[in-house]
Amino acid sequence: MRRHLSALLLAMILLAPGVAVAQLSANEQKLYEGAKKEGEITWYSAHSAADVLELIGRGFEAKYPGLKVNVVRATAQVAFQRLSQDLKANSAQCDVFSSTDVGHYVYLKQNKLLAKYVPENARKIFPAYQNLDPDGFYHITSAGLVLITYNTAKVSAAEAPKKWTDLLDPKWRNQVSLGHPGFSGYVGTWAVLMKQLYGWDYFKKLEANKPQIGRSINDTVTMLNAGERSVAAGPAETTIRSAQKGNPLAVVYPEDGTLLMYAPSAIMANSKRPNGAKLFMEFLMGVEYSQIIVEQYGEPMRPEVKLPPELKPIDQIKTLRPTVDEIVNGVPEVKELWRDTFGV
Amino acid sequence: MRMTPPDSAGTTTIVPRVETRPDGATTWMRSFEPAMLLWLLLIAILAFLVLSPMLRLVFASFEDRVTGAFTLANYAEAYGRPRYVQALFNSLALGASVAVIATLFAVPIAWAISRTDMPAKGFIRMVVLGAFIMPPYLGAVAWMLLAGPNSGWLNRIWIGLTGAETGLFNIYSFTGLAFVIAVYSYPYIFVFTNAALDLVSSEMEDAANILGAGTWRTTLNITLPLVFPAILGGIIVVFLEAISLFGTPALLALPARFNVVTTQLWQFFEFPVKVETAAAYSMPLLFITIGLFGLQKLILARKGFVALTGKGGERRLIRLGPWRWVMFAYCMFIGALSVFGPVIVLAQAAFARAWGRGFSWANLTLRNFEYLLFEHDSARQSIVNSFTYAGATAFIAIGLALCIAYIVNRRLVPWGGVLAFMCMAPFVIPGIVLAIGFYAAYAPPPLALSGTATIMILAFATRFLPIAYANSAAGIRSINPEMEEAVRILGGGRLLAIRRVVAPLLKKSLVGGWILVFIPATRELSAAIFLAGPHNRVMSVLLYDLSEEGNFEVLSAFGGLLLVATLIVVAIGFRAIGRDFMLRGN
Repeated sequence: MRRHLSALLLAMILLAPGVAVAQLSANEQKLYEGAKKEGEITWYSAHSAADVLELIGRGFEAKYPGLKVNVVRATAQVAFQRLSQDLKANSAQCDVFSSTDVGHYVYLKQNKLLAKYVPENARKIFPAYQNLDPDGFYHITSAGLVLITYNTAKVSAAEAPKKWTDLLDPKWRNQVSLGHPGFSGYVGTWAVLMKQLYGWDYFKKLEANKPQIGRSINDTVTMLNAGERSVAAGPAETTIRSAQKGNPLAVVYPEDGTLLMYAPSAIMANSKRPNGAKLFMEFLMGVEYSQIIVEQYGEPMRPEVKLPPELKPIDQIKTLRPTVDEIVNGVPEVKELWRDTFGV
Repeated sequence: MRMTPPDSAGTTTIVPRVETRPDGATTWMRSFEPAMLLWLLLIAILAFLVLSPMLRLVFASFEDRVTGAFTLANYAEAYGRPRYVQALFNSLALGASVAVIATLFAVPIAWAISRTDMPAKGFIRMVVLGAFIMPPYLGAVAWMLLAGPNSGWLNRIWIGLTGAETGLFNIYSFTGLAFVIAVYSYPYIFVFTNAALDLVSSEMEDAANILGAGTWRTTLNITLPLVFPAILGGIIVVFLEAISLFGTPALLALPARFNVVTTQLWQFFEFPVKVETAAAYSMPLLFITIGLFGLQKLILARKGFVALTGKGGERRLIRLGPWRWVMFAYCMFIGALSVFGPVIVLAQAAFARAWGRGFSWANLTLRNFEYLLFEHDSARQSIVNSFTYAGATAFIAIGLALCIAYIVNRRLVPWGGVLAFMCMAPFVIPGIVLAIGFYAAYAPPPLALSGTATIMILAFATRFLPIAYANSAAGIRSINPEMEEAVRILGGGRLLAIRRVVAPLLKKSLVGGWILVFIPATRELSAAIFLAGPHNRVMSVLLYDLSEEGNFEVLSAFGGLLLVATLIVVAIGFRAIGRDFMLRGN
């Protein structure tokens, strides 16, 4: 209910006479006028759950009356596969592409399939998120954290692991829950980071504790809630959201560094609605969007947005973020190593 | 005739026939009539639905990813590693294990309901129907909660009772996986076997009794062998279902640390996507299907199953005495495994504010349902979508299958066996691969079906055509052509014969077939996940999305809605048509 009320409230504020128009910059105004003539834009996105993406789509429509965004939610690999089929068939369906796999953007940029656009808002987001692609073809519009999570009914705050190497302690034998890098970009990137920090030996030692391997990083939330496992390398957003409902979950920001996972968006070169697409990119880096995200316990892009007490501001956490190259080259490698070490 | 199983005669039509009758072609030419155009149209549809995406798959397996030139490299890559080959063998072992377990579940229930005086048969039918409606993915989630080694309810009860150190069950194992798949696929064998048993008259059992055989010996030596073709048909369907399922292995096999074909296939869809390698890797599934039908033909070839004439014969129920309660207990036990147990754990989560806190009054809420029904953006729409698409799918699949089965059975065209095989083949193409084929073939202009309901319905219809065909073929076979010939001698055309003779005779069998396609279509996940657009998400896709979000309370509540809604729709269907195939009393 809350999220709908707030969306409604947002819409009311934005629709108030004079306010919306006054907020638009000259560039925005120009794009808005152009977009009105182009029709519905299509957004392929793997960034959030379907209902959150719908909220974002509606937020956009509320801010820019008369425009429509067609939200196509899919997991990153399915979204990319669809995009590839579209490109093969020469049919320009997708205007803005939001995957969680940075490798997709490197490939698309190399093959000249992306349109260059640096949104005005790009320099207003947290510095940690700025300037992912120096050439300005793709930009971070979504972020998440991977940290240590645990079941508070089984593990006290004092006992809980404080850093990633604590998970290697034999007392967590049969108690650790993980996702799988073949199913989750979060887990893949996390594995790259762990390998950078401690070498692949980290996972060989972890295997001695017989961790349970799921698929999505969100599977760890289910496993902790069920009591099947008591500690995990899990996602901040889903874990905190579940804990908010009253589930026995808590998070630890590891001393040796929380993984900052980022997901870009980009405009397709073949987009037939360039104004709408550019305006949408502006929106993804705007305040209203971050407001919607924060209400779902996601990480905001903009510092102006007030955080709920459960979230720690990004600039107060020790975060680590592998570079695009490290991820693109590292993830396929850790997937292979993972399969050798864990058997799946 | 009720739900008709494939019988011995049917198997010959499923396998491509190599021998042609010397006068086949000329007979065909002579009997040419306007209706032939309709047949040609149907064949064109089949080419559109099955042949085109399948050929695309076969061609892709020999294509270089970049240049499109001919290559065998995809095969080298697909089978170049022991791990990949191992997954293939794991799938075969899985299929076989599931088939054995599902047979042990289904055949006794079918026998007890059809042949004995076991009590509460209507209720047991309901339970089997419940198991059939349950999406395997949802069932697997429930079983993770029931038999997880550390936290599973069953294990905690066991530890509580015995004081043992560790639990009894580990669902994250090969056995666990085979068990969970069997628990949700045995209804296929049940339906086939039960229908066949309903047709066996008591005469042969009486003969055995007179010669001194007891009830058990008669059942094992006479009754069950008589319906063996039906059981075998069900087993094949279950085997194929087990090796092409993705959701359940992804949930259970990964923690158990092994891969099967479908989870391995998934890896080829990681970036950079290797559709060509995936295509090469799916080829054995096609050969396995061909092999299975060949095997079926071989096993059944030299035996007669004359009892399946559908004609006359008195049927009496076997009096089991006290054993009727033993049979009843067995059926209830299977019911507990497939429906009661899983529904209880899902209900706990569905009505909980925070399911991790367990049972307590303070933790009870209707909030999850309220959210889904009144606030969620797509939950209601997805339910409506699922039923509309599944309904349309069932009509298309049954209509098409019936026509093809008729053509093949009445030998209206040469090479009918090839058509029959084309109808059966889609069953083993993993949903995601089928979906890719469909998207590649029909998403771009001129058809531009991307993101439409049409492409989903067509893909579903293709995917479940085998079930529709197995059903229709058996139905058609049960009708003696003499009745149609009578119509034609009196001057009626073939279409009139079909409308006035064949269709009315087949009505019941078709309703059963319709339901058999409708239900799996409401639970289809792997193709839907790829084809669904923003406005046509279906329940299974939403269920998967919810599971990815780690929002277990809402996931369970939605699973509950899905079960209730499907039950209601199926019940309305039964009532409207006046017949059913599982709820029917004797």
